[in-house]
This record gives sequence, structure tokens and C-alpha cells, in this order.
Amino acid sequence: MRAAAWLRPLGIAFILVWTLLPLYWVLNTSLQTDAQVSAKPAHYLPPTPTLANYVTLLSGSGDISTSVRQSTINIVIECAGATVVTVVLATLAAYAFARMRFRGRNVLFYSVLATMALPAYATLIPLYRIMSALGLVNTYTGIVLVYVSGFLPLAAWILYNYMSSLPIALEEAGQVDGASRMRVLWHIVLPLARPGIVSTAIITFLSAWAQFLFPLVLSSDLSTQPLTVVIAALQGRHTVPYSLMSAAGVVAVAVPAVIAIVLNRYIVSGLLTGSVK
Amino acid sequence: MSADVRAAAPTRRPPRTSPDRRTGRRPRFDVLPYALVAPLAIFIIGLALFPAAVTLVDAFFKVQPLNPPDGFIGLGNFVRMFQDDSIVSSMVNTAYYVVIGVVLSTVLGVLFAVTLQQRFRGRSVLIAVLILPWALPGVVEGIVWSGIWDSNTGLLNSVLTSLHVISHYQVFLGQNRLVTVLVIELVQVWQITPLSTLLVLAALQNIPGDLYEAAELDGAGAWKTFTRITVPLARPGIAIAMVQAVIATLNVFDQPYVLNGAASTGASVMEQTYFVSFQNLDFGEGYALSLLITVVTILVSLAIVRIVYRAVEL
Repeated sequence: MRAAAWLRPLGIAFILVWTLLPLYWVLNTSLQTDAQVSAKPAHYLPPTPTLANYVTLLSGSGDISTSVRQSTINIVIECAGATVVTVVLATLAAYAFARMRFRGRNVLFYSVLATMALPAYATLIPLYRIMSALGLVNTYTGIVLVYVSGFLPLAAWILYNYMSSLPIALEEAGQVDGASRMRVLWHIVLPLARPGIVSTAIITFLSAWAQFLFPLVLSSDLSTQPLTVVIAALQGRHTVPYSLMSAAGVVAVAVPAVIAIVLNRYIVSGLLTGSVK
Repeated sequence: MSADVRAAAPTRRPPRTSPDRRTGRRPRFDVLPYALVAPLAIFIIGLALFPAAVTLVDAFFKVQPLNPPDGFIGLGNFVRMFQDDSIVSSMVNTAYYVVIGVVLSTVLGVLFAVTLQQRFRGRSVLIAVLILPWALPGVVEGIVWSGIWDSNTGLLNSVLTSLHVISHYQVFLGQNRLVTVLVIELVQVWQITPLSTLLVLAALQNIPGDLYEAAELDGAGAWKTFTRITVPLARPGIAIAMVQAVIATLNVFDQPYVLNGAASTGASVMEQTYFVSFQNLDFGEGYALSLLITVVTILVSLAIVRIVYRAVEL
């Protein structure tokens, strides 16, 4: 027996309640009016479920609605940009590390591993000053560059492990047939490595979506601020109605939550190749 | 691929770009691998190693854009750091965050992993649900949980009042330091426990079933099996889970920033680093704080690996 039989249902129930209760609660709050939210004791179900808060965010002309909408566009652009650049660069480098021998390979490879051991915030101030010197503060480019620098090591590491585990015979056959190495990469390695690439892309996208301190420092107004920064600012005002705040929270949670639920297999395998070896 | 294609291959192969080990000719300088790794190298050197070096060096300089001139001041930044009550207080808070966060996320991670160890119907769905908090932004998790901790509308106050545990609504955040830190850290534990669970679960999957069968034959109970087989053999996974928890908790920022702002009852070292650097514009002291956190992170991680990690021979 690995666990006493009666313990497992208890464990399953605890995992479900622990994980889902906070999410249920924010959803419940977002479906109520602000008057209902202040009831004591609280309404454990929305008495008159309403999408009014979401309609306000989606089509309202107020300051809160427009900033939530603009920052949602910003976060999508920044996450998509960071994911595409990271995955492309990491794939090219991982292929070289996994399949080629060249001078300086080991030095560079261990540098990549070393940067993974550094806490991300160790470089916060210098990165701000570099972006400031390059005139890239408060630009999409600046934010994407910083994200890519942060996510590349893990992405390259996951893809390196994945490509190293692929059988080399097919690639050799391709080379013997006269294909150039770039053709081998494109036509043989990439299709085989697709699950690893998908894992890497999802993990990168979710990490970018979760960023807060870096964009807090690197973006100064609504032209580039992502949803996370705007939501924290709204919360800090203490004047935004609780139900509306919750609806904004649900919007910020929905995208990563759907990705995590639908594509969880890729996340689990990617996280385990990324951190165990 | 037929034999004649293979025979024809060498003449069609571009001779320059592919060094040919089989012919024994000394290959010319091969540009391709450098072209492939160059973008990565530029990012790693320019936006990771160079900035890290700047932090390391400038921690010993006065760097204040609004108060020139800058210059070498030795340990001056570190001395001022320890004379600043709000920073010292944030160090105490952060120590609490680390202890509470690492203990709780490890205990929960092991319990969740043991729950998931054997296959059962719905296991993969449960793993998909379990992953959720890992995938969500810490800031938004702060907002989500503020709905539970809130002093006027919070779920916890409502439930505790209904159960007559408390007679009127309580303020959980910003009053008592330990309560504030615990309440904030629970939100971070919610976020980091999924990864701890996966790491421990991966270690559990490597434990051969024979061991459990042998233990059962020997009449070992569930608790004895857990303490004598499961925990010792899961040590590598537990060590890595603890290290990721140490890194996350030592650098905690999002949750205290959203739930408690700059209030000294819960401010973390990372929050103070942000305030010192970007509100007081004292980059030198910010560098010193960053360096301190980095060094402590590395030392504590190494200590955990030394104490907990044992290579498991099966």
C-alpha cells in the first residue's frame, strides 16, 4: 500500500477544494452587483447572476474599462512577441548544442545553465538602465527583449534535452541523402521535436503572462503596460468596485487557465524536462 | 532511399558547409553552429551575464542619478542597508515568508504527490486542475485571494462568523506581522505547490512497485511504508521542490505588493529593493540588496541540496 485506501479520497477532495475554491470565489463575486458583494454573510452563490461587470469592462467608456481593454491588448502583444522570438532562437541554439561540436560550445552551454540558477530579479536594475540607455523604456521592443533574455535559458534547455533524446538515425539518413543541415533541421528535426516545441512555447507564454515587476519598471503608461500592472494599479486605488475588480481578475486568469487545462500534458512534460535533469 | 541515391550523395553535398568526418579530410572552419547559437549568445551575454556583473560591481559604488557624483564606497551601501529599519524589518518578514512557504509547499507537495502516486480514474483531470495556480500571474492571485481575506466582504470572515468562531469581521492583513505574513504566504504557497507536487511525483514514479509489495509482505503499515520507503526514495524530488520554493519565497514580490502594499507588517526584501531603486532612485543600495538576495538564494539552495539530496541507488 502506497497510501492507506481511505486517505486518497480525502487527498483528492483537498486538492480540488484548495485549488478551485479561490477561483470559484472570484468568479462568484464577479457575477454579483456591488451591493450584493457587501452582504454579510456573503452570498455563496450569486443571488441574481449578472454579466454586467463584464459588459462594463468590454464596452464601457470609463477610465477603468479602457485601461483594462488597452492593457489586455498590450499583454497579448508582449506575450506573443516574447514567445515567438524565444522559441525560434531557442530551437536554433538547441539544435546546434544537441547535434554539433564547435569551439566554445561548452563555455556557452554552461553559461546558459548558470543564468538559470540566478534569481531573475538580480538583473532588474541593470536591465532597466540598459533599456533606458537604448531608449527602449516604455516600448514593446524593450519589454519583449527583457522577457526573451529571461526565458531563453530554460527554453533552450528544455529543447536541448528534447532534441538530444530524438533518434539520430533519421537525421543521418537525411544528410546522406544530400540534405543540408538546415534542411534536416526543418524537415526532419522540427516535425519530430514538435511536442517539445509546443511545451516550450506554452511555458514561455504563461511565464510572460505572469510577469509583473519587470513591466512595472519598464513600462510607464498605458501604451505598453500589461494587464497585470494595470490590475495591480486599480487594486491599489481602493476605489474600484469589488465586483468589477473581480471581473478584471477573471479576465486575467481566464487565458492562462484555459491554456493550462487544455494543454496540461505539454506543461507537465516540459516542466519535468526543464527542472529535473 | 535507394542505394544509387546514397552513392550519388557525396558529389551533391555542398562541400564547404558540412565537415565530413568519414573522408578524414580536415574540415574547414564551420560557420553554421556559430550562426545558430549567436542570437542566444548575444542575449545571454548582453542581457543576463553583463547585467549580473553590473550588479556585482555596482553594489560597491554610490549610484544615485539625482545626487551625483557616483563613486566607489566599498561596503557603504551594505552598511546603510542594515541601518535602515524598514529594510531590516523586510529581512525579518522575508525570513518568515521563506520558512512558512518552503515548509508548507513541501508538505503539501508530498501529500498531493502521494495522493496521485497510483493510477486511478480521473487522475489526469486532477493533475490538470492541480497545475492551475502555477499557470496564473502572482498579482492576479493576490486579487483572487483578497476576496477571501478581505475585512469587509471576505469569504473567510463570512464563514467564521456564520460558524460563530468569531463574533465580528476581523482584519487579517496589516495588523499583526505573523498573521499578515502567513496570510500573504498562503497565496504564494497556492502558486508554487503545483510544481513541488510534480517534482515529487516524478521521483515517486521511479520507485519500483516490488519495494511496496515486499513491505506489505513484511507486514509494514501505511505509515511505516511512507516513512521508510516513499520519503527516503523521493528525496531528490523533494530537494529540487524545496530549492524552487526557496528561490520563489526569497524573491517574493507580487503577493505582498498587491495584498499589503508597502506596509512594514508584510513588506519583503524584494519590495524594498524596488522602492529603494525606483522610488528613492538609489541604484547603489538596490544593487547591494539584489546581490544580498542572490547570494543568500544560492547559499540556501546549496545547503538544501547538501542536506536533503541523496543520490538514490536502486
